Amino acid sequence: MQKTIPKIGLFIYEQGGRLARAIDLDAVIQRLARIKNVTRCEVLTDLAAPLPSIKEDFTSDKFNRILWVGKFSDYQKKTIQSELSSAGLNPYMHEWCDIEEQGIGIDGVDLGIQTQKAILIIQMSLARTRLLEPLEPLELPAIDAALIIGAGVSGLHTATSFMELGKKVYLVEKESGVGGKVASLHRLYPRICDPRCGLEFEIQKIRESDMVEVHTLSKVKSLEGSPGNFDVRIEKQPRYVSEEKCNACGECMKVCPAVIPEEQRSRESAFINETSQQVLNSLKSEKKAIHPAVPMPYPPTFLIERQSCPSECRECVKVCPAQAIELEQTSSEMAFKVGAVIVTTGWDPYQLSKVEEYGYGIYPNVISNLEMERLLESPPAIEEIGFIQCAGSRDERHLNYCSSVCCSVALKHVLYLKEKLPDARCYIFYQDIRTPGFDEELYQKVKSLHNVIFIRGNPSTVKPGDDGKLKIRTEDTFSGKEIDLSLDLLVLAGGMMPSQGSFEIAQLLNLPQNNFGFFESHLQCHPEESQRTGILVGGACRGPMNISQSIESSHRAAMEVLPFLNRTILIEPKYPVLDLTKCDKCKRCMEECPFLSYVFDENGFPSLDLTKCRQCGNCMGICPLIAISLRNNTIKQIAAQIQALKSSFMGKEEPVILAFLCENDAYHAAKSAVEYGLPVPPNVFFIKVPCAGSVNNALVADALAFGIDGVLIAGCKDGQCHYVKGNQLVKTRSGDLSDKLQKMMIDPQRVRFESLEIRDSKKYVELVKSYIEELRAMGPNPFKS
Amino acid sequence: MPPKVDREKCDGCKAEKESLCEQICPGDLMTLAEDKKAYCRMPRDCWDCMSCIKACPKGALETRIPYQLGYHVAKLIPMMGTNTITWTCIDINGKVERFQYINRGMLD
Repeated sequence: MQKTIPKIGLFIYEQGGRLARAIDLDAVIQRLARIKNVTRCEVLTDLAAPLPSIKEDFTSDKFNRILWVGKFSDYQKKTIQSELSSAGLNPYMHEWCDIEEQGIGIDGVDLGIQTQKAILIIQMSLARTRLLEPLEPLELPAIDAALIIGAGVSGLHTATSFMELGKKVYLVEKESGVGGKVASLHRLYPRICDPRCGLEFEIQKIRESDMVEVHTLSKVKSLEGSPGNFDVRIEKQPRYVSEEKCNACGECMKVCPAVIPEEQRSRESAFINETSQQVLNSLKSEKKAIHPAVPMPYPPTFLIERQSCPSECRECVKVCPAQAIELEQTSSEMAFKVGAVIVTTGWDPYQLSKVEEYGYGIYPNVISNLEMERLLESPPAIEEIGFIQCAGSRDERHLNYCSSVCCSVALKHVLYLKEKLPDARCYIFYQDIRTPGFDEELYQKVKSLHNVIFIRGNPSTVKPGDDGKLKIRTEDTFSGKEIDLSLDLLVLAGGMMPSQGSFEIAQLLNLPQNNFGFFESHLQCHPEESQRTGILVGGACRGPMNISQSIESSHRAAMEVLPFLNRTILIEPKYPVLDLTKCDKCKRCMEECPFLSYVFDENGFPSLDLTKCRQCGNCMGICPLIAISLRNNTIKQIAAQIQALKSSFMGKEEPVILAFLCENDAYHAAKSAVEYGLPVPPNVFFIKVPCAGSVNNALVADALAFGIDGVLIAGCKDGQCHYVKGNQLVKTRSGDLSDKLQKMMIDPQRVRFESLEIRDSKKYVELVKSYIEELRAMGPNPFKS
Repeated sequence: MPPKVDREKCDGCKAEKESLCEQICPGDLMTLAEDKKAYCRMPRDCWDCMSCIKACPKGALETRIPYQLGYHVAKLIPMMGTNTITWTCIDINGKVERFQYINRGMLD
């Protein structure tokens, strides 16, 4: 590439004499005009009038890059960029230097010092401008199809939304039919509707469209490639019934001799009596070995559970009018390409048998809330029924969180039960009733019902009574009295935990999970991200949530993957570039990249996957050989800026601080400190960085070597970093450097890491002031000349 | 005299095949022990070139000054910037001298 000699046009934008009041503008201009590479240097009082002459100078090659000094509105910046790009100046060849945000113009500072500081800041920006390169945004090809893993309520709704947007969807489900957990529910509050009705509505859309490919009995086997171009392989278990031929007439089911109980739960027969037998009967459901898909009969093809078939039985083959039975089917693999992935693997109920004190799985009339849904379709005649909330939830031995829906579910059960059995007496044992939002109405409604008793306190023991009832002992924590009850039925509110599929997918796709196994994300800023670009998570695999929340969540995830489904992915050209001649494969960049954006190339060097990269620069910060640089924010540029900062401009004794501020919060704190007119000391200079983690130790060493008295690195608080852990990484690194300083008999406090939030402008000023005091006490940096 | 390794700081360059000190050592003396901490496998062959000390990104290595030059209080510590290097020399009496140079640019 031909190297162009940098020729810089330097324009200071002076509005209403603001700068002239703070600094000696003539001295600044005189000083700057003499600097190498500056070919035009002047003060502008208006932007519109001189623009043509700037354009003309640019076309006559007087300069090839421009440094704009002063405050510009976003509108002005955009106008200037577009005006000059029409003349052929690359929009990335502008550098903007706001000297006011660095504290120029603050009352009470000597004009001479302000002027000196302004010159230094502009010189720093000039050093940066010299090294600017023209950049072009990249456009990478992408595939406009999405993979949705899990065809529960979230997956189905998201699939139909994509379908309506004209995007191809591959919906992969491990069960034989779609619908997930929601299909097994009885009724939904508040419309008292059957959830299958809503699901069927979505299925109907899928049925009529050819944009959605549903793969049931399938699991994702591998996912390779990068966002925009993932290669997916799925493994499909055999159905033994041809999807093309089967018309779901049901003839086969009539002749099938093998009956399988749907759920085989051990109930100790010793405890079975009349009521519990009724309960068991209501819960009992059987199906034949050949049956329609479950939980929802879509796809409409039947399937055979071969392990339940009698050997050599061919009844279904004989009777099938469509000759759809294919007993010799084997599992098959399929491959396709997608642009992005949405994981909606949902939840599993907590295993209630682990909550031993309630005897689930031993006593037949202790049932889970999911079983209660089924029981409600035709409840047996029961008189006394208890509901235990938080059976395992909010319990450090089991699930140490609130599953958020169980209270409303139990209240809903009471409501429907009372419709069918108005005389039944319901006891609700609770720790706290949690009915967020409009569910409060449900709570009020249930409270007003006759014979519904709320007892604050979870039962300690559940024992079988002589009359076949359950004897329950509990303490009412309001009155402090012990209560003994005997109940016909006990419903345990089991909590929600991440589904088995979530764990499998987490392992396969290397998705981070939190302590509870739900997918980890940055809750405030990117709630649906999975830290793996192009893979989003939605629905109850992110945390306990109700149906509408999980649909909302998966749709948010869908919104976030849309940029990957546009046939082209636009990439801002400020991505990191690796200098392979310096790299010696130490692999730290790969280890520390929060988004796993680096992969090995064929020679074992790290190579960046541009589509995964978020351009945070953490790789630039860690590289011990300073071989990685963000484009137009290179290490070389920052080093040149540091070199341009004369540390003794206020005299040798007066400390100078260089601050590296994270542009997400600390920078804004510093900027607003000036805007609010807080007394920011003139001793501090800052450099804006995309993330505190992008500050390389070599740069800090540079600053100290050039005699800067204190280096402040300010980033987010723990757990708040947009790039997951940039602040922690830089904290450890600057700690290493501090230790080294101690060995060098230099005060380790010359390098400091601080956490600042976006509104911490007062804290920023206090911090700088106290740091200056500390540095004064330490004396000047020994390397200061 | 081989360099002293701060075994708490050394992270074995995240258990790479070759750590950075191993890659840079002109005598190929530095290597990783079983516990993935760096050590000098032939102490007598080290000629104190200090390449490994400059290369260590964790600051885990420290020069041992040969006894002919100074006893244990004496230290010689380099600190590498992008294109700067500073030297801190501490003699046996604790007297400190410091030097600062602009290096041949690592950046070019």
